[in-house]
Amino acid sequence: MKKRQPLFHVVKREQAGPSRQILAYVAAVVLALSVGAVLLTVQGVEPVTFYRQLLTMGIPGSRYPWRSVENFIKLFVPLLITSMALALAFKMRFWNIGGEGQFIMGAFWAGFAAMKLGEILPQPLMVLVMTLCGALGGGLYGVFVAALKVRFDTNETLLTLMLNYVALYFLQYFAETKTEWNFFLDANSARPKFAKFPENSQMLTIPIGPFQLNLSLLAAAVICVLLYIYLNYTKRGYEIAVVGDSPNTARYAGMRVGKIVIRTIFLSAALIGLAGAFQVSSAGVLSTSITNDVGWTGVVVAWLAKLNTVGIVAASLLITVLQFGCQAASTAYPSIDANFANLLQGVILFIVLAADFFTRFKLVPRSRKEAVK
Amino acid sequence: MKKILALALAAAMSLSLVACGGGNTSTPAASSKPGASGSGADVSTPPPADSGEFKVGAIYINSQNDTAGYTFQHHNGITTAMKDLGMDPATDLLIVDTVAENYDDVCKAIDTLANQGANIIFGISFGYIDAMNDKAAEYPDICFSHGTGYMANDTNFNNYFGRIYQARYLAGIAAGLKSAELGNNSIGYVAAYNTEYAETCSGINAFALGAQSANPDATVYVKKINTWGDENLERQAAQALVDTYNCGVISQHCDSAQPQLVAQENNVFGCGYNSDMTEQAPNAHLTAAIWHWNVYYQTAIQAAMDCAGDASKFVEKMGGNAYYAGLAEGFVDASPVNEAVAAPDTAAVMDAVRRLIKSGDWDVFTGVKLSYTVVDGKVEIIKTDADLADNQGNVIVAAGGPSVDDGVIKGSMNYNVAGVQEG
Repeated sequence: MKKRQPLFHVVKREQAGPSRQILAYVAAVVLALSVGAVLLTVQGVEPVTFYRQLLTMGIPGSRYPWRSVENFIKLFVPLLITSMALALAFKMRFWNIGGEGQFIMGAFWAGFAAMKLGEILPQPLMVLVMTLCGALGGGLYGVFVAALKVRFDTNETLLTLMLNYVALYFLQYFAETKTEWNFFLDANSARPKFAKFPENSQMLTIPIGPFQLNLSLLAAAVICVLLYIYLNYTKRGYEIAVVGDSPNTARYAGMRVGKIVIRTIFLSAALIGLAGAFQVSSAGVLSTSITNDVGWTGVVVAWLAKLNTVGIVAASLLITVLQFGCQAASTAYPSIDANFANLLQGVILFIVLAADFFTRFKLVPRSRKEAVK
Repeated sequence: MKKILALALAAAMSLSLVACGGGNTSTPAASSKPGASGSGADVSTPPPADSGEFKVGAIYINSQNDTAGYTFQHHNGITTAMKDLGMDPATDLLIVDTVAENYDDVCKAIDTLANQGANIIFGISFGYIDAMNDKAAEYPDICFSHGTGYMANDTNFNNYFGRIYQARYLAGIAAGLKSAELGNNSIGYVAAYNTEYAETCSGINAFALGAQSANPDATVYVKKINTWGDENLERQAAQALVDTYNCGVISQHCDSAQPQLVAQENNVFGCGYNSDMTEQAPNAHLTAAIWHWNVYYQTAIQAAMDCAGDASKFVEKMGGNAYYAGLAEGFVDASPVNEAVAAPDTAAVMDAVRRLIKSGDWDVFTGVKLSYTVVDGKVEIIKTDADLADNQGNVIVAAGGPSVDDGVIKGSMNYNVAGVQEG
């Protein structure tokens, strides 16, 4: 009896050249935009105008263009740092999908510092303290899972995932519990709502004309450069790669795998916590939707960029343009709501990821494969 | 290889299409007015908005394409008001929707609307309050208007809400008459919250007072779900009220029509909220407390247009910075009585009380209780002086006393009146 064969086989391609990969990405983006154009046309929206507004993020001809740039940076920086940090863990094959939780913890402890010390410390010191508290809060929340993994070989995917919700509900508890001791809330409001931080905990900015350059952008740039050097030119960066490829090899080579895992995950989670601290400091107030889903989007960015530092910068730029541009473009269209904008982003990401798959694998129909045999 | 070539060609073609198209298509409504602002212009001196291109901006908590619920009611109100004013919502309405109650997100949404030339910005959800307050100071040339909030300034920022308790009193009458007819004094109430918010407990209290005016023995059992809207919880709470207290009428302060559907399934009756829910539950629904948001939105948009570019006059044109209208202005009302299921004379009694409240001679939270006699369809309202007491026995308003302060009803009411029981 002949064994039943699937209709297609997935076959790995020979290493594709970079030019072909870039071609595939371009084709994917074009295809995605075309699919989006069809959807837009169905909604009665002219796609070309919509896309131009999306890509320019509604900035040309707007009344306060510098505001748009400021808001863009506020969206971009947390996503960039989170994606970098996640890629660091992924390089070691540690599946940290707890970005959301670590981000919330970073934001929470930075907020804690702001509410407690905001009246006392001068602004630069206050921002620094918030940053440190955020990094420590996020880092410890992540290292907890790493320690369990090293000691008891627990599954880090499940633990980091579940701890996201623990963090969210933890923050929600403070958001909704109106009592005497809850200093996070605005005492003047009958309904529970987070109080704004004292002025001194506002992220530092450099004024360039009317435009206020958020200092976190410069910090993010420095972090990117340092991480690039750390991963590619230091012994510790090399250790991460070795542990990722094969923990046993690492052990044979005399590396202390447990220590490397804990150190790396602390760094990864601390960076995410730092992003959370930047975010609340720029916003000036806590919120239960503070993460803007960067913990999830960061995973997509990291893989889209194949964990490559330069790629992550490009991919997080692309996604931020999509997110921010979609909002700006859809404002003027009654039929385009935020859900449709999300759908459009999803379609584009999906097709680009599919293209990535097809540059590395190909589908071979059954009959042809048998003929080859 | 051929396929790749074909793909590349297709890609190049589409790209060139996009590129060509980009150059010569007309710009959309939103950015068609480039404005004189270079990047060097100061925030406080933007190009004056000319009246021909008046734009309304709105920030919604849910989707603008919703077909029911809170956002839908407001969106409907804004578009109706704009059409009545001869504006076209398709071109003159700018919306950022699904904006969470997150300070930073709301600020971004306001920036987006300001950038695209909005002359007035409405924020419909309570949590937008701080962002609206701060941005009103930052953009003095734009009118800001915040629903359900309490912050405002003396120039370009007001808040708005309505005396929905008056409409709930009317709905309470329908519920009370029905419970008297059924001989079942238990009335249920599915509430988002109770004494945590003045908005919710003032609604419960007004409804209970209305029910008691028609049936002095009525008890209102409140089940709260601790969220403004969750269809499953609303359904469960309504069913529990029927099962536990044998309630014959179910009222609600929550988003969906689930409590009315549950009433219909159990062969009992109900009073809806937000929209006339007779459509959803024709065999159960008596009447609903409803908003006519377009009444406010039309007033506000007109006031903003009358400012003729000087947004600092907005509060003056609105006659104050806290809009709080009721039955008299047509801002709230009870939906038409479903005669197929309501008790006899319900509509007549409600009409009489509606006229009384509109006249301004009487309001719900006073030391004067109402009762009714109906002879041949002619309603007589009997006023009796009586203490307004909470369910702990504390007297809130002594017999014959005047109505409690608006601020209490809007902001600090935190008790249930006698005859209300939370379970």
